[in-house]
Amino acid sequence: MTQATIAAPAPAESKVSLLARGALVPRLVTGLSILLLWEIVVRAFAPAYVAKPSTVVLAIPRVITDPSFLQALGATLLAVAEGLAITIVLGTVIGLLMGRSSAVDRVIRVYINGFNAMPMIIVLPLFSLWFGYSGAARIATIIFAAIFAITMNVADGARSVPREYLEVARSFRSDRWRVLNEIVLPASMPYLLAGFRLAAGRALIGAVVAEFFLSIGGLGYYILYNSRSYHHNEAFVGVLLLAGFGVGFELLVNGATRRFMPWYRRDEKSG
Amino acid sequence: MLNSYIRRHGPLWLSLVAGIALWEIAGRSTSRAFMVPFSETLLRLWQLMTRGEFIAQFLDSAQLFLTGFALALIVGAPLGLLLARVRTLRIGVEPYIMILYATPMVALIPFILSMMGFGFAPKVLVVFLFSVFPILYNTVEGARSIKPELIEVAKSYRSTEWSLWREVMLPYTLPYMMTGVRQAIGRALVGMIAAEFFLSSTGLGQLIMGASQDFDTAGVFASIFVIGLIGVGLTRLGLMIEQHFARWRQ
Repeated sequence: MTQATIAAPAPAESKVSLLARGALVPRLVTGLSILLLWEIVVRAFAPAYVAKPSTVVLAIPRVITDPSFLQALGATLLAVAEGLAITIVLGTVIGLLMGRSSAVDRVIRVYINGFNAMPMIIVLPLFSLWFGYSGAARIATIIFAAIFAITMNVADGARSVPREYLEVARSFRSDRWRVLNEIVLPASMPYLLAGFRLAAGRALIGAVVAEFFLSIGGLGYYILYNSRSYHHNEAFVGVLLLAGFGVGFELLVNGATRRFMPWYRRDEKSG
Repeated sequence: MLNSYIRRHGPLWLSLVAGIALWEIAGRSTSRAFMVPFSETLLRLWQLMTRGEFIAQFLDSAQLFLTGFALALIVGAPLGLLLARVRTLRIGVEPYIMILYATPMVALIPFILSMMGFGFAPKVLVVFLFSVFPILYNTVEGARSIKPELIEVAKSYRSTEWSLWREVMLPYTLPYMMTGVRQAIGRALVGMIAAEFFLSSTGLGQLIMGASQDFDTAGVFASIFVIGLIGVGLTRLGLMIEQHFARWRQ
């Protein structure tokens, strides 16, 4: 097992059984106490501009109707979507090549591993040099942040295709394209999804970091600008949204894995 | 001996040499402002090393990394184990740990900046926030994987709390926790650079920023090269730690 695949989605306990066993009450209590504690601590010790639950809630309607916020949100989401689209296509192609050809694997694995281990934000100064302080640098950062996660997962997936499947295909004389399309790709799907989950999170981080660094319009810059001008509540709404996207990707991929690939279990979990 | 070494590691070295050659050629055939050949990067790196600038910045970064990471471990590991043992608490806290694990922590840096300013403490906080949640999240995952029957059996044999921990809880949660530690090492490194970029500029982050502001492309490449190597080394270390504890999990 390589590092990218270990962080696989755990098949979550089903909602119904959890609620039946009384998970809802402890969860609500914990959530409310976190919010209450936060509110009290900030009221008691922090200056007035610091975000606290009550004022953040009040800021939500103001922020989500603010055109500049919507514009920033749109810019970031568009960049993440574009970056991820490029990443998925490129990453899958490279990953499949690596997984199915040991020659390709030997040549580029060291680089994929190496780049993946790099803290991705160190390329920002270089990308700003190459692409200027522009949206192109943001897209490049997103791709760089996300692509290795997908590549490594797809390569692992393509490598783990059971040999018997391929032998059957070969004995029925199916051509390479059909083997790829009908055996290798479907068999690596769970890995692709696990890679996508990692990649989506990293793409989001890449976008925010790039906006911080390059000062280009987007959700990250909105947060930076507002917290600099002591509008912490408004800025925090942006953070909530980012957290929502992060959790959303996680749930989406876990849900898709369970829904479309119910046979796929990484780790049997119980309790 | 030698033969099998070549067969095993030959392609790796070959591909490294090819990569360096490609870098050298690309560097020589483009503008100096964009890219610098490998040889020049090494030369610049040597200069940085001998001028002592590099060592000072490296130690500065290492101090930040270790402080933040140690704090994350000191807080995350016991808390994770507590959550593993106290079921109600775990069920209550679980979703929030998942949310915080999935939240891009970089987004909090501007708040930390405007509340805590430019000192050492806010930077440690950033590294801590980046690295504590993977530890917690994975430990809770491990705790979920303990079969309740195991604890029941242990209890019905009147095992003491200590032997319950030693023979059931720890063997089940530690491998997961170490997966968290591995992830945390990687994230702490990102957090370290992010803190050095966006809070007060120090350490290795400052090394890159400074080079980039001076349009010293060789300096940028040299710093990225070194930080990349550090990243590779730390990832290796993380994998080793994880595998050491995960031997039986496969």
